[in-house]
Amino acid sequence: MRLELAGKALQSEFLAAVEEHSGQNVSACYQCGKCTGGCPVQPDLDLSPSRVLRFVQLGLEDKALSNETIWCCAACGTCTSRCPIGIDLVSIMDTLRAFAERKGISPPGKGDTVWTFFRSFLDGVRQFGRLSEVALMGSYNINSGRLYTNVIKAPWFVLRSKLGIMPHKIERIERLERVFQRIEEIEKK
Amino acid sequence: MKYGYYPGCSLLSTGAEYARSAEGVLNALGVELEEINDWVCCGATPAHATSHLLSAALPAISCAAAEKQGLDVLTCCAACYNRLKQVNHQLKEDPDLLAQINDIIEEDYKASVRVLHISEVLAQDVGLEKIKAAVQKPLKGLKVASYYGCLIARMPEELRIDNVEDPRMLDDLMAAAGAEPVEWPYKTECCGAALTLAQGRTVVRLSGDVIDIAKENGADVLAVICPLCQANLDMYQTDAEARLGRQLGIPVLYFTQLLALALGLGPEQVCLDRLIVDPMPVLAEKGLVAGSVYL
Repeated sequence: MRLELAGKALQSEFLAAVEEHSGQNVSACYQCGKCTGGCPVQPDLDLSPSRVLRFVQLGLEDKALSNETIWCCAACGTCTSRCPIGIDLVSIMDTLRAFAERKGISPPGKGDTVWTFFRSFLDGVRQFGRLSEVALMGSYNINSGRLYTNVIKAPWFVLRSKLGIMPHKIERIERLERVFQRIEEIEKK
Repeated sequence: MKYGYYPGCSLLSTGAEYARSAEGVLNALGVELEEINDWVCCGATPAHATSHLLSAALPAISCAAAEKQGLDVLTCCAACYNRLKQVNHQLKEDPDLLAQINDIIEEDYKASVRVLHISEVLAQDVGLEKIKAAVQKPLKGLKVASYYGCLIARMPEELRIDNVEDPRMLDDLMAAAGAEPVEWPYKTECCGAALTLAQGRTVVRLSGDVIDIAKENGADVLAVICPLCQANLDMYQTDAEARLGRQLGIPVLYFTQLLALALGLGPEQVCLDRLIVDPMPVLAEKGLVAGSVYL
């Protein structure tokens, strides 16, 4: 009975969708754990990367899409470069985040602040074409409700003239807005 | 030698000393730069973490501009380099994606440009011999731990410019400048990258370990290649010291600042006064600078 259930789960639509979107053969993972051994962020998170892959293999969509790890992955690529069968885990994390966002699953635990950071960053790029680090810190602190993040570092920014005062706006900003809009339309479909 | 220069956003603010030292070094070695017209942010991790199309469209806009200028792309930031090079490669290999991206960005990009990092331009196009010959103040006795981080070292296999677990290019450049490269095991460990604002504690743990291991292996200074690594290792070093319960005090310089120093460039190019952990005491001890830039 247990074997039959596992067999059914292994052929899940979810697994097929993740493999198609990421272009990676998740089924081939044999859980050696090298990705987890090298992962710099997993000690602080709820799931190791190899467990995320296992949940995908088993078709356990809820678990694979609702965890801190897919959001807090630093995209350092240590897992990808060490995987003995060449699975690109960074692409799989990108896919799982995209699926979670499409399904409206909000990032749990530590994932929430990372998601807020990504949105604040891209909002800034959309507005100016180039990122202003001052504007990013301001908008991140407001969007996350953590108003004092990094404020303790402010004297250094001033003393070492670390920050450009004004955001650098590109000339063809209207074209960039059309690019963002068109991608949103395509991705909604 | 002329390249299309893509500074990237960090080099306009937190990493201005990277820009000034890199431009100074390239200029001194006869490399000409022409800024890419109206370049846009590469999107970095937030773009590829949330949208595949956006992560391809943003770099494509800047590469298309370089193509119109008839130039290959040179960048200093490791994150920009990683994104621009990977996307450019994907567009070259996938005509359907190229057509879709061209439609989105309103361009007719042919994916003909090459994307190069300043370290490979210096080590290969300029060449170590030419750099050695141009050195005026060899960094004699300075033990430099070259820190490569993630984004340059761990490109997809077909795009790598160096060994993935034990890269050497920066060490070679530091040796050419007369410094003593430190052999150490953390040269490609992650500093915490873009998690700085959102998960500061992770960054303090990871960056602290990198500095600690560099110090344990005898490093006087760290040479870095990425503005995010520099910010994490330099700005959070006091937090790392508090976490580890011991003093670190390792200055974190862009490798181009050390090259600029060796080539005898002026303070406005070397920009030592922009670093948080003061590099002057150790540089003065080695007889490489006189006095302190800080009062």
